[in-house]
Formats: sequence, structure tokens, C-alpha cells
Amino acid sequence: MEHHTHQLNFWQKYFFSTDHKTIGAQYTIVGLMMAAIGGFLAYVFRYNLAFPGENIPLYGSLSAQQYNSFITCHGMIMVFWVAMPILLAGFGNFLIPTMIGTDDMAFPVLNMMSFWIFLLSAIVLVASFFVPGGAFGGGWTMYPPLSANGYLNTEPDFLTAFFSGSSLMLVAVALEFIAMLMGGINFLVTTINKRAKGLTPFKMPLVIWFINLASVIFMFSVGPLVAGAVMLLFDITLGTGFYDPARGGDPILFQHLFWFFGHPEVYVLLLPSLGVLAEIIPVFARKPLFAYRTIIYLALFSAVISVVVWAHHQFIAGIDPRMATFFSIGTIIISIPFAGIFLSFMATLWGGSIRLAVPMMWALGFIALFLIGGLTGLFLGSNAFDIYAHDTYFVVAHFHYTLFPDIFFGFFAAFYYWFPKFTGKNLNETLGKVHFWLTFVFFNCTFFLLFFNGLGGQHRRINDYSAFSNVMQEPYILFEKISTISAILLILTQFIFLYNFFSSLAKGKKADKNLWSANTLEWIADSPPPHGNFKEFPVVYRGPYDYSLPGIEEDFIPQNVPVSEKEKLNRV
Amino acid sequence: MHIFPENISTYGQEIDNLFWLVLVFVVIALVISLFVLIYPLVNNHYTKVKKATYFTGENKKHFRWISIALVLLGMSDFVILLAEHNTWEEIENIPAKVDVRIGITGRQWNWIFTYPGPDGKLNTGDDLVVDEQNSELHVPVNKNIILELRSRDVLHSFFVVNTRLKQDVIPGRMNTRWFNLTKEGKYDISCAEICGVLHAKMRNFLVVESQDKYEQYLKTLYEKNTANP
Repeated sequence: MEHHTHQLNFWQKYFFSTDHKTIGAQYTIVGLMMAAIGGFLAYVFRYNLAFPGENIPLYGSLSAQQYNSFITCHGMIMVFWVAMPILLAGFGNFLIPTMIGTDDMAFPVLNMMSFWIFLLSAIVLVASFFVPGGAFGGGWTMYPPLSANGYLNTEPDFLTAFFSGSSLMLVAVALEFIAMLMGGINFLVTTINKRAKGLTPFKMPLVIWFINLASVIFMFSVGPLVAGAVMLLFDITLGTGFYDPARGGDPILFQHLFWFFGHPEVYVLLLPSLGVLAEIIPVFARKPLFAYRTIIYLALFSAVISVVVWAHHQFIAGIDPRMATFFSIGTIIISIPFAGIFLSFMATLWGGSIRLAVPMMWALGFIALFLIGGLTGLFLGSNAFDIYAHDTYFVVAHFHYTLFPDIFFGFFAAFYYWFPKFTGKNLNETLGKVHFWLTFVFFNCTFFLLFFNGLGGQHRRINDYSAFSNVMQEPYILFEKISTISAILLILTQFIFLYNFFSSLAKGKKADKNLWSANTLEWIADSPPPHGNFKEFPVVYRGPYDYSLPGIEEDFIPQNVPVSEKEKLNRV
Repeated sequence: MHIFPENISTYGQEIDNLFWLVLVFVVIALVISLFVLIYPLVNNHYTKVKKATYFTGENKKHFRWISIALVLLGMSDFVILLAEHNTWEEIENIPAKVDVRIGITGRQWNWIFTYPGPDGKLNTGDDLVVDEQNSELHVPVNKNIILELRSRDVLHSFFVVNTRLKQDVIPGRMNTRWFNLTKEGKYDISCAEICGVLHAKMRNFLVVESQDKYEQYLKTLYEKNTANP
């Protein structure tokens, strides 16, 4: 296998690189920077909630308009500029070529363009904080008419709608989707066309299945939202009336277009992280993934159902009650395959020989927290109770219990697992464990009590609760303070991760090629894999999860090892 | 500590009960799941179990535990759905007996209350309108009160914690909801859908009072309106 051996200069190597690993790292690093911004916004508005009216350290005082901007952009950033680049683009770029045993993406230049457009989208979003009136503050769902009339959202003297926070937000989202579409096409084509010889679909690691499935769901559902967003942009800048009932439009239309994308998006974010769990759990339980094929079928089934549950976000928007029943049933049905996937992961542990290394701890922490997040969804799925709980802190706590483990526990599990492979350096294990435990504890302290605030009737997106007697009483005031202090500690804990990252990168011990004794193809490449990944293209003979086969000395057999006669006899 | 704020509507208790019903399922499921997750971490730690047992879980026999769990989950889901369906229908369907009809309109940033004028009909020329910040919505106790919910500008959501009722209001359409309140007193009305910069200040009061006092209130309102047209 021939590779370009000519010397690349610094810029070609680290900036305008077409190497999938560099692009994956670029996506991940920008995603983490955006996470820092999103975390800072959370710190500022949480501080304001716990200590209303006080001067916020490192920020100053927070106006109602800024509060609205900050909660909106916190959500936007965490979903579109943290979860998407890290879980989909980051994991996809690092893992797809290495795990299917090929040298790079099918379209390396398109891949590079995808990143630069993504970076542009992030810059537009951050720039929107500095236009007159500040960043968009109408909630991350961007519901018109509030979002369509940029000025209604802000102080009355702000009328420059074209460069308003709301239109910049829409431009940023559109650019981000273009970037992710380019990435998604690349992932699919690469996976379909560039798999190693012998790597049939049912020999592919589950994470590759799930990243591709997430890309398909994303590409299928994003169209209506783009159309909806363009109409919204026209309403803002050109004065059309797609969502204005006075001119024959309908604001509910946007809600349908938004959630047609918005709900499948939840699974777009969830599937890559689940894929990561599917790689990590068998390695550290030294056992095949339980029901590998069944999991794939369950995921395919849920991908189909995911596009017919959207309206459960609109139960109290006044949709037809008969329609609500249909969407309730859909919501219930989709919970079942995902429960099946999680149960299969847990079943993998039974009968295993379990090592609680750092990546495994993050994976198990993910499951434990997601159980709470998923089960509290049952309350909201029963639509009569949702009448009360909708738009309260109960919902806030619920989706943080699903998205936080998904985004951050999923990322950290992957990070601690693959960092030695892609950098060639080992991480400090003790610091990794401290990082895990502190994150786990402070996350729970931040969000668990908010369930009670929600049940007490605390409605969300309010910068100052002084007008509301049901909130301005104990224990809710105390819970707000505990939540805020824990959130600050949760953010500070992440400096342990940063220190571990940089110090290991600088002076970590050299990592073994296959330090976890895993089967998948990335572990037969050098650490770090050079440009082109493999010295020669691997040939695949077996599935990814042959751990602890009976009658075999080693408890793992890499995918490129041919099946021996002895083994055939022992196989059940 | 009370989990829920005081309930004053006829259907509020059913919503609260629904929470406790679902909580039973959730706690059972959570305890079982955490056991399934944690038990092997202790029992199958590599210091105790040197070599894992090989099984792929691909045949039905291996998968049966998960199948059973999924069937149980599906069944509890449908039990919840059946249990909540009546409550949902009760809240969504307007009762035949209408005692009072009141118009409620959201605007940036307060709720506007519209009462029928002397002709006793809503949406006629003599309606009595209160459009002020921190104003009060007066309703009689133990009556079926039908709310016609509208918006003048952006989305809002009419929310009275103590009644358990929440309903989005949408420009260009009218949603009809109802409640029957069983306890006199003064409660907060808030807006539960972000509606702009003073969303947090969108607070009015719900005053539940006897029929006599309610009629007296309407009379005063009428006199005030005719005095300052």
C-alpha cells in the first residue's frame, strides 16, 4: 500500500489536513471548546438562579435578556456544537476508517470542508453574542412568532432584524447542518465501499452500525427542519408571514417541522454513544456482546419509529386529543427497543470477568444515569401528567439525565478508551478515576433535586422567581443553591480531565498497541496510527466480539485472525 | 415536605395520583435494573472470575430474560396509558354544563381577562376586559369554568400550579379548557412558555371566591368601565 511520503508542512499537517484522524481531533477539540462556552453559560445562569441579583464572579450582572440568551444558547451549543461534532463527527472520523480497516474516508477533501464549514458555523454562533441585542433568547426550540419578530424578544430599541441574534442563530444552524450532511454522506459511502476484505455488515463493530444509522436518521429528518428554518429566516428578514396567523400563516407548523427533526435528533445523539458502550463493555467483561444481531434489528426498528413520535412534544400546544393518543402509543413503542439495547448491554456483564478500568467506569456510569433519565420519561409520556409537568424543572432534570450521560459519559468513555490508540500515550488512571467519581457525584447533586422543584411547580426559563410564591419557599430555594454549587464543582472537576489530557500528551508513558486486548481492527494499527493507518489492508475473518472462546488459550481473538479448525469444533 | 403544591381543582388529584402510580413502576424497574447492573460487577469481578463464560445471546433461549423484561415494560406502559387516558379525556373534553365562560388572552407581558357583560355572553360588545399587570382573575368556587384561551402576539402558556392546568395559547387560534375549583383563595397565574424579555414578570392572580362575591366583582368592574369609558 503506497502513501504520499512527501513532507507536509505544519499547516497542511494540523490545519488543512485531509487525514480523518486530524479532522476527528479538530471536531473534538472545537466541540470541547464549545462545551466550555456552554458550561460557562450554565454557570452564569445557574449562579443567577441561586443568588438572584448578586454580582456573578467572572461575569457581572445578568439582565433578563441575557438570561434568556444564555439558556437558549446553552441548549443550542450543547446539542448542535458539542454533541453533534463530538459524538457524530468526532467518533465517526476517528473510528470508521480505523475500525473498518481502511486508510481514510471516501471523500477526504469533502471531509475537510465539512470541518471548516462547521467551524464557520461555530464562529457565527459565538459572534451572535456581540450583535446589538445579544444572542437569540427565545428558547432553543426557536418557536415563532417570538423568533420571527426578532425585536419582540429584546429591548424595544433593537430593530436591526437582519443581523439580529435570531437570524444569526438560524444561519449558524444551517451551516452546521451542511457540515453534518457532508460528514454523514462521507460516513455512509466510506462504510459501504471501503470496508476491509471479509468485513461483511454483520461482522462490523456495533459502533460503526450506530454511527451510520445516526447519520441516516439525521439526513432523513433534517430536511423539513431546514425548510422550516428557511421560512423562519424569511419571516425575520424579508417580512414574509409563514408563521404569522394575521397573514395566513400558522405558528404550529414550525413546531411540527422542528420536532419532526428534533425528536429523531435525540436518537442521532444517543446512538453513537450507545455504540461506544457496545465496544467497551465486551472488552472489559471479556465476553461477546450479548445479542449483537438482535441489537442491530432493534436499532433499525427504533430508527423507523423515531420519525413518528415527534408530536409528543406538543401535547399541551392544543393538538387534537385523538392525535395525542397516537403519539403516546408511538412513544411507548419506541421505549421498548431502546430498553432492549440497554438490557443487552447489562446482560453482557453477566458471566463476565469484569475489569473496572476507567473507560468501563464511564460506560457503567452512563447506564446507571440513563436508567433514571429514561424511566422518568415514563412520567412525561403519560400525557395527562405531562399537562402539569411540561415546561417545569421536572423536564429539565429528565433530559439532563439522558443527555448528560449520553454526551459527556459517552465521550469520556470513548476518550479514556481510545486516547492511547490515537496518541500513543497512556493516561493517568488514578486521575481518570477521580475525574469519574467527582463528575458522577456532582452531576447527581446538580440535577436530582431539580425533579422536586419541577414537581413543586417551578416553571422553567425564568430569570427571577420573586413573583412566584410556590417557588419562593423552602426547600426549593435551598435546592436551587445546592444545584448551583454542584454545577460549579462539576465544571471545576473537568480541569482534572484537562490536566490529565495535556500532561499525558506531553509526558505519558508509551501505550501498548493493543493495551485493552481488544478484537477490533483499530488495535492492530500502530499507536498512533500513521497517515494511512495500516501497513497493509487487514483481512477480516470473524466478528468483533470473540472474547473468551472456549478451548482457546487467549481470551481474545482479533478480527484479522483466521478461524482455526479447533475453534470451529468448540464454537456453539 | 409536600411533593406537590396544594391542589384546588376537581381533576388535580387524579393527576397527582397518576404520578404516584407511575412512580411505583419506575421504582420497581429502577431497583431491578440497578441490581442487574451492579450484581455482576461485584460477583464477576476478574479477581473472582478468571475466565468469562462464552455466550452470544443470539438464540431465543438466551434472549428470553430480556424478552420477558420487554414484555413487562410494554405491559406497564399500557397500564399507565389506560390509567391516564380517563384523566386526559376528562381534562381535554369540555363538560356539558357550563356555568361561567371567561376569555383569557396572553400578551407581552400579562394575561388579559375578559368577562361577559350584562348580556351574560362572552365575545359581545359589552364584555368586561381587565388588561393590567398583576391583575386578578376572579372566578366562582365549585362551578364549571370554561376558559377561552387566545394570544395576541407570541406563544404563551396559561399555568396555574394549584389547578394543575397548563395550556399553551397560540396566536390565530383558540384553545378551550376548563376547570372547577374547590377552594377559595388567591393563587399565582404564570406563563410557562418563554415569551420574551419580561417572561419572568408575567404573573397574575387567580382569585377563587363565592358566587356572591364574584357577582359583586363583576358589578364593580361594570361600574368602573361605564364611569371611565
